[in-house]
Amino acid sequence: MLQYLVILLDDTSVSYCHYENPKKVKRLISLSDLKAGILFAMKQNLMIQFVYPDYEIPAEYQKEIETIDHHKIAPQKIQLKNADVVVFNSCKEFSTEKTEENKDKIFVLRANGKDVARNVSTFAHDGRLNIIITDIETFTENDFSLYKETLEQLKNTVKEIFLQENSPQVNLLTDRILLEKMNNCNAGIENITLAPNGKFYICPAFYLEDENDTVGNLTNCIDIKNKHLYKLSNAPICQKCDAYQCKRCVWLNRKTTREVNTPSHEQCVVAHLERNASRNLLLDLQQLGAWEDKSIKAIDYFDPFEVKDKF
Amino acid sequence: MEWKEGHAKSITFIVTKDCQLVCKYCYLVGKNISERMSFETAKQAIDYILSNKDLYSESSVIWDFIGGEPFLEIDLIDKICDYIKIQLYEKQHHWFNSYRFSFSTNGINYHEEKVQNFIRKNHNHLSIGITIDGTQTKHDLNRIYKSGKGSYDDVARNIPLWLQQFPHGGTKVTISSPDIPYIKESVLHLYSLGIKEVNINCVFEDVWQENDDLLFEEQLIQLADVIIDSEYYKEYACSFFTEFIGKPMDKVRENQNWCGAGMMLAVDAAGMFYPCTRFVQYSLRNKKTAIIGNVHEGINQNLLRPYLTLNRCTQSLQECIECEVASGCAWCQGENYDAAETNTIYQRATAICKMHKARVRTNNYYWNKLYRKLELEGQRENFEKKETSVIC
Ligand code: SF4
Ligand code: SF4
Repeated sequence: MLQYLVILLDDTSVSYCHYENPKKVKRLISLSDLKAGILFAMKQNLMIQFVYPDYEIPAEYQKEIETIDHHKIAPQKIQLKNADVVVFNSCKEFSTEKTEENKDKIFVLRANGKDVARNVSTFAHDGRLNIIITDIETFTENDFSLYKETLEQLKNTVKEIFLQENSPQVNLLTDRILLEKMNNCNAGIENITLAPNGKFYICPAFYLEDENDTVGNLTNCIDIKNKHLYKLSNAPICQKCDAYQCKRCVWLNRKTTREVNTPSHEQCVVAHLERNASRNLLLDLQQLGAWEDKSIKAIDYFDPFEVKDKF
Repeated sequence: MEWKEGHAKSITFIVTKDCQLVCKYCYLVGKNISERMSFETAKQAIDYILSNKDLYSESSVIWDFIGGEPFLEIDLIDKICDYIKIQLYEKQHHWFNSYRFSFSTNGINYHEEKVQNFIRKNHNHLSIGITIDGTQTKHDLNRIYKSGKGSYDDVARNIPLWLQQFPHGGTKVTISSPDIPYIKESVLHLYSLGIKEVNINCVFEDVWQENDDLLFEEQLIQLADVIIDSEYYKEYACSFFTEFIGKPMDKVRENQNWCGAGMMLAVDAAGMFYPCTRFVQYSLRNKKTAIIGNVHEGINQNLLRPYLTLNRCTQSLQECIECEVASGCAWCQGENYDAAETNTIYQRATAICKMHKARVRTNNYYWNKLYRKLELEGQRENFEKKETSVIC
């Protein structure tokens, strides 16, 4: 069931996920579409997530936004005081610009695998940190090894913070420990995106890739063809998987395998390296007496596709 | 039944897109004479496949040659087959003694010397199917030359030679809407030519008119009556009547994909790899081709994942999953893709639904009638034993 409506306020709204936003020309959503989007969300009982560009939006837009419960996703660059989610677009930006006053906000760090590997020692953060690796689909065997080492280091950092009696949350490591079932992105099922052109898309990535790839508009509402394929129950590999923290990005799936319900090998291996690192973190923390009620079993594969015959 | 059905890798070379005929139902919507495979391309494909043993671990292989009409390229095919045999030997490949060359031909130049030489040379490793659609009227309704002339006479004259060389040769018959009134006489005609195995299917495309299912049912009932009353069932087979169809299917135990797309591999003249020939551009009406690699770079394994993990339930609507007569209701992944509302292979096309249901009704009739007859004759037990041994 739909629960969230993502509204891209501008064509240059920040990417907070796997996709890049190549658009440089500003194009604000029209005020009437913004109002209609808000009305739609109210009627459908959806929580709105407004995604901000890196410039200040007009006052009448700000006023309209405040008429409904919502979350604000904004780039670090605009220093939006009341943002709920702050997006950093590189490790450099993250290490130099994250501030104590933003501590209670969710930090999203978007960076490629090598950048993360180089800077992982600077990631100590006692709050919620979502790390988005932006080049998963190009990972090679060497990148997998490097990522494994990166996660090991990150695990040690998280453990250190725990030892200081804090409770850090890093999506790549702690989510899997806390989750008991899949918690994927669920674009197309739980959330849908309204773009600045007044049309609906599965997620911002689908809009940025092809404006014609729309699934409805504010007048005729949403019509997702083959909607069932976005559901976990129609994803043959993911259905059998227990890397619960994986985003199961339907956009990356389509890009790499041509099917929204089928992940690439790279996606699965990366998610399993995270899963296994989460398990290592859990084992370490359990030795310290924490999270004794949790468990993650040992497995001998990195890609569920490899064990598909045993499904 | 296909050689080593289900256990052999099937590799298809689309050697030419040319054909002498322009069959009305031909799914090859983009046939042409310009795309002819070079030996170099075939060689590159073979080298890639044989040097990646880990990707092709099946114990046997069927090298399939199709067109257009494959025998138009008999010189090329002969060279390709020689190369395959030499490479299998030199590489001490596990397929060395477990391979077949397979052909689906329109039969028109079957008698020609070059084709016959090839057959003699490779006889122990050959399967050849000639397509003949039934009676002359039925055959010539669809299988015509570019001039409009029917091809029946040119094919039928080669049938005795073919059956002499391949006594168990079977034929494939495809039924579309206009063919329905000719089903009974066509099957009986093929039997009369000495063809003992008639594999007959309705097309998967959405071609069916109102009441086609009822006409189809009527034809199959008449056919069932003749097969049983004249005791053809003792020696002849018609794939329409298959005992184990028309039952509900278990969501877990019977969740396999029907079609082998992705398990198979097709390569065209340009050296592109496809999950099966139905994904080549000339076979598609609405969609873009689904290339999964090429002879230079090999196969993109990510693109194969959807094909290799497809199962029945993830591509079917609830109506199909819960259908009470689901078993035996077939689908073609290529047609599913071509007919789907989005670019997916995960949307099962259901145009065949009413025809399958009609087939199930007549199939039930057939087996009820046949078993009663055998029972009264005291032959039922013997027959059941024979059937079981055939199935095994
Ligand atoms: S790891 Fe792979 S199989 Fe598991 S949820 Fe993620 S994408 Fe799906
Ligand atoms: S489908 Fe979901 S995970 Fe993938 S880019 Fe879009 S929002 Fe992110």
